[in-house]
Amino acid sequence: MESMQDAEKEVEQNANSRVYELGYLLVPTIKEEDIVISYGNLKELILSFGGEIVSDEMPKIISLAYTMRKVASNVRSKFNTAYFGWIKFTMNAQKVLELKKKIDLDPNFVRFFILKTAKENTIAAKRFVRGNMVHRKSPTIKRSGDNKEVISINKDEIDKEIDAMVAV
Amino acid sequence: MKQDYFSANNIKYIDYKDIEILKKFLNPNGKIMNHKRTGVTSKNQRELASAIKHARFLGLLPFMVK
Repeated sequence: MESMQDAEKEVEQNANSRVYELGYLLVPTIKEEDIVISYGNLKELILSFGGEIVSDEMPKIISLAYTMRKVASNVRSKFNTAYFGWIKFTMNAQKVLELKKKIDLDPNFVRFFILKTAKENTIAAKRFVRGNMVHRKSPTIKRSGDNKEVISINKDEIDKEIDAMVAV
Repeated sequence: MKQDYFSANNIKYIDYKDIEILKKFLNPNGKIMNHKRTGVTSKNQRELASAIKHARFLGLLPFMVK
């Protein structure tokens, strides 16, 4: 009976779970070698809250569009660069609040947010569309080259026709 | 009549990470363009605005350009 109840609980949890995306900025003071460790820790943290990772991207250093300020343990610090990364995962709605509270306490984060999102990969589709548009342009250039050859053939035919006309 | 950019390119979800697309809907000062100017549907304009605001929060886009 217990196993049945456990199975029912699991089904309920799956029904309540939604797809979320965690977008975050890590402090640039972390060394590049150590970024993998903090990235791994974040993944483990999500898994420990019963989350399933759908897709993610490694944190990469980016230059920020404006200077960010953060006060941590009475030290005010400014950031012009940060490691930007994101993780998509499915999780129970109540667990997400706990995850947020946990990340709030982490000093390695400059900023972060958790969004409700779709499971599908949204970025790749857009890139494909742009790539397609670039490919569309190239055949038109080739066609103009073909037309020149056609015109040269036409010239000979026209000359013959003119000769024939003159002969008449 | 201007066509909706997102339905024309078959984009169902406007992502805050796609800053190249979002930049098209900012004016030179970094403000979000009017829906009359963008020609985007009301639903997509709302999603676009929140995507830009999320990107601004994470420093991917500026709040204003001097």
